[in-house]
Amino acid sequence: MKTIRFLLNGKEASIEVEDNETLLCALRERLGITSVKEGCGIGECGTCTVLVDDEPHYSCLTLASKANGRDIKTVEYLSSSGVLHPLQEAFIRSGAVQCGYCTPAMLLSAYSLLLRNANPDAHDIKEAISGNLCRCTGYIQIEEAIKNAAEICKCNGQD
Amino acid sequence: MFIGQDITRVDALDKVLGKAAFAHDLTKNNMLFACVVRSSRPHAVLKRIDVSAARALEGVVKIISHEDIPGENLFGAIKKDQPFLAAGRVRYKGEAILIVVAATEETARRASELVRIEYEDLENISDPFLSIQSPVLIHDGGNLLSHRKVIKGDAAKAFESSDVIVENTYSTTWIDHAYMETEAGLGYLDDRGRMVVASSTQNIHYKMKEISRLLAIPPEEVRVIQATTGGGFGGKLDVTVEGYLALAVWHTKRPVFMRYTREESLLAQTKRHPLYIVYKTGARKDGSLTAVEVNIVGDTGPYNSYGETVCLRAAVHATGPYEVPNVLVNSRMFYTNNPVAGAMRGFGVPQLALAHESQLDEIAGLIGMDPLDIRMKNALKRGSLTATSQVLNHSAGLLETLKAIEPAWRERRKERPGSGFGLGCMYYGIGNTGISNPSSCYLTLTPEGRVEMHSGVCDIGQGSDTVLLQILCDALGMEEMGIDLVRGDTDTSYDAGSTSASRQTYISGMAVCDAAQKLKKYLKEQGYYDGKPLKDICRDAADKGVPIFEGYFDPPTTAPDPETSQGAPYATYAFATHMTEVDVDEVTGVCKAVKVHAAHDVGRAINVSNVKGQIYGGVAMGIGLALMEEFIPGKSESFDNYYLPTSMDMPEVEAMIVEDREPTGPFGAKGVGEPALIPQAAAVVNAIYDATGIRMRQLPCDIERLKLALEKDKENKR
Amino acid sequence: MLPKFASVTARTKDEALSWLSSLENPKIIAGGTDLMVKMRAGKHYSHIIDVAGIPELLGVTEKDGRMSIGPAMTHARLSTEASIVRNARSLALACGLVGSPQIRNMGTIGGNLGNASPAADSIPPLLIHDAVLTLESRDARRKVPLEEAIVAPYVTSIDVKELIDSIEISPLRGYREGYRRVAKRATWAISRLGVAFAIREENGRFLDARLAIGSCTPMPFRAKKVEDLLKGAPKNEATISEAIRMALEEIKLISGIRPSYAYKLPVLQGILEEVLRG
Repeated sequence: MKTIRFLLNGKEASIEVEDNETLLCALRERLGITSVKEGCGIGECGTCTVLVDDEPHYSCLTLASKANGRDIKTVEYLSSSGVLHPLQEAFIRSGAVQCGYCTPAMLLSAYSLLLRNANPDAHDIKEAISGNLCRCTGYIQIEEAIKNAAEICKCNGQD
Repeated sequence: MFIGQDITRVDALDKVLGKAAFAHDLTKNNMLFACVVRSSRPHAVLKRIDVSAARALEGVVKIISHEDIPGENLFGAIKKDQPFLAAGRVRYKGEAILIVVAATEETARRASELVRIEYEDLENISDPFLSIQSPVLIHDGGNLLSHRKVIKGDAAKAFESSDVIVENTYSTTWIDHAYMETEAGLGYLDDRGRMVVASSTQNIHYKMKEISRLLAIPPEEVRVIQATTGGGFGGKLDVTVEGYLALAVWHTKRPVFMRYTREESLLAQTKRHPLYIVYKTGARKDGSLTAVEVNIVGDTGPYNSYGETVCLRAAVHATGPYEVPNVLVNSRMFYTNNPVAGAMRGFGVPQLALAHESQLDEIAGLIGMDPLDIRMKNALKRGSLTATSQVLNHSAGLLETLKAIEPAWRERRKERPGSGFGLGCMYYGIGNTGISNPSSCYLTLTPEGRVEMHSGVCDIGQGSDTVLLQILCDALGMEEMGIDLVRGDTDTSYDAGSTSASRQTYISGMAVCDAAQKLKKYLKEQGYYDGKPLKDICRDAADKGVPIFEGYFDPPTTAPDPETSQGAPYATYAFATHMTEVDVDEVTGVCKAVKVHAAHDVGRAINVSNVKGQIYGGVAMGIGLALMEEFIPGKSESFDNYYLPTSMDMPEVEAMIVEDREPTGPFGAKGVGEPALIPQAAAVVNAIYDATGIRMRQLPCDIERLKLALEKDKENKR
Repeated sequence: MLPKFASVTARTKDEALSWLSSLENPKIIAGGTDLMVKMRAGKHYSHIIDVAGIPELLGVTEKDGRMSIGPAMTHARLSTEASIVRNARSLALACGLVGSPQIRNMGTIGGNLGNASPAADSIPPLLIHDAVLTLESRDARRKVPLEEAIVAPYVTSIDVKELIDSIEISPLRGYREGYRRVAKRATWAISRLGVAFAIREENGRFLDARLAIGSCTPMPFRAKKVEDLLKGAPKNEATISEAIRMALEEIKLISGIRPSYAYKLPVLQGILEEVLRG
């Protein structure tokens, strides 16, 4: 067991983890953050995506100890101010949510894109979510949602 | 008005917040974990099972075998032929043998690996053609599960007088549903000692009945709850974790959780049926179809699951959405020792669409007719007779979908070498085939002044909860959504039937309308429409004992004739036309779907955004079916080598909604879930022909198959 | 569920080397994108040493006409690193095609080499840039050409006590350079074939043509004989078809005939035609 300290959705967190524990497991089972999903366990579906220093990573392939000293974000961060992030609004409005199992991870990949690129074109958006599988939507309404959210974020000057 | 509006989905907010509790997220104090020990052999007698090492592992609470089942071991939606736990013999690799229950998931899995099983192998019947001949019987009744025929007119005679005849063989393979959430659930005993199972499922009442048989307890002693479900597509219709959880809770009296790993889901869960289709089409010079003769051989694996359903549905849809005066279809489904094939989006019809759409294009090519024109010429329309001689009295908008596509089709241009365009049409009977498949629901009034809709419909992501609320609001003439939804729980709802066969909008929608009529009458009597607030009506009602307003609908169908399948197996049909543009790279064999026009006659789009979502998702699954998805038993062990389309594989899609209203449906609606997928692979394959001159008759048409075909074609031309 | 192991996070290279030398059955982890999958499937190590955050193993530097790449550089960073895009375009392209965005954010070039998959996208580009690995253990330091470091599929000559200190490559300027790959899905798929090329031509002649092919033979290989043939040869169809014939021969010589070649060799032929014709 070891203690790891990290920023979790903007707040200091400190937990004990096993040496062989994944970040996915630590988030879900020690911290109760079940928005981070397990879909395959080997980095081939994307539902476990979290942001590590604002970059999307697969938490199923990340040792929990790697979170030490890092900034970890899950979908809870997006609405931590108490209001929905424009991406979340847009996902709801654009029909980007069907079964919803891929949704939190999809939102994080999209959020990371908008941090890097405030004016993503259609290809940028496709590429940004190309490591997140969705079996329901065919991605199209997700891409529309991200495009719409990017417009709104630009107007708001929001990250 | 709520119908036709893009009402925000009722489940979307929780899902974007990450708060929705999926089956994987369920937990309870003092919870144990279960996992399943599975067969490593496709066909074998279980000689000896040694659980001593597993039992000795610290933390192992209970190991359950078929001998520990208090009730019936066999389950099945159509026929009870599949054991929850193998009794002396296994019939496919991955079949469940034991359940291990332990204090932690890790212990349960470790213990399961310590179980030693001695097998005596039996002949592995690895394809349906072996199954036909083999003296080894997978079940006592023989290796033929089902044989269905469609006979209309005299096909043999009609071929004699046909101007052109085309005959080819097509084949498809296993496809995994690949819902993002694998099978999972939580079982426990409630305060009264009743069995409760919450799971990722498409049908709660069916599973309640199976658990009741399994445990030999009355159905009232079982409660099944649908957790938020991460996709289904037919794969969560069969009982999976629910039975194991019920057994584990029964024996331990403690809450038990289990989930399949992705590998386990791929190994053990049902797949789309591989079908081998020999298809003969006859036509006159003017393009009118004279006859089709189709022989279908399917591989259902060792258990029925939905094999009989697929056998019949494939047969009655074999002609495609066309007027064909003479039809002879033989559809046979065989047992094998391959993975259990079951229900998957389309029930055999996507496979048949590959065949009938390829055939039609080939006929058009031979007589020099445009592919769109030949479809328009033969299209089923109001008044047409289907292959089962059902008269289409109502909604039949195939021609309108063709017309919606027509401008894009006529203006198509091959901008690049390797580009090609293809059409695919389909029709699909809504609801189960020729059997009663009712839905029921009820409405009540709450003391707070709201209407409560009690729904047993499982929303698996397609949006039925929202759609049913929209239907109810409009049926009641409400101006705002003053409705509370009580859903997905056998304790608080009536049986709505399964979420499958594209049936919930149509059938459960009508059940909701039926209940709404009764409530509306009541509200009218109470003065709601004259301005009396609902709150006051509800308060008065509460004083008198809250009334219940029940709704029921069973689509009018007739049972297919056992010899000819003639009859009216469905109350209504959905129609669609897809046009797909591809780019084929002849150097690498890579086929990229570039653009899809997808026109769907849905009767009426209750929620336009949801309908489009179904169309886009169906196109994606069709792209996977056409170009990359192939489950190979023993090889496809994870998503590492079972590829689903990514965002980068998706074409641009223009969804076009055609509304030929169905008078028997809720506000004219039919269904769209499966139709969205069905014609897509056919359209891709036709586009590949247009691009390369090569007919791909085997799916998937992945880069290797396509390149090898291109090479062979080059050689032939030399 | 991963097998039990103890894990440590090294802050410096020396710390990593000393753990490598003292701990029993150690294994280095950087991005973890390959190793975590193998361990989940049952591969066991006693000690996992995390080197991803060691500053000495990061960055790209240029010295004496050679470039040195830190092995802990991620695919994502290499794909956009200006000096790599400028001087080793095929490598930047290949790194941009590895896995998915998440895999590229996590996985490192050192890990890609250490894993030594026949389908590793970064290897063919490194081969045409004459990559040399500097391997370091607590007591020794040695240089090994990449071609010699990979000895069999998924097997390297890197000792368990050794760490990749750096990957040295020759920049190529004035070359038409690229990486072509084929996979069963548009992205996030294992390469069925990967071709790194860098070609310099003048007045209708090939001055220097470098070709390396991945996913075809047990280890990605550089087609040296073909390169020799092309050097100084006139750029015409005769040269090109002879070069391709020779490349295909060389592959058959290395691996014999494999069932997958029915697909791969015609595709390779087509790609090489396009590449050589430019």
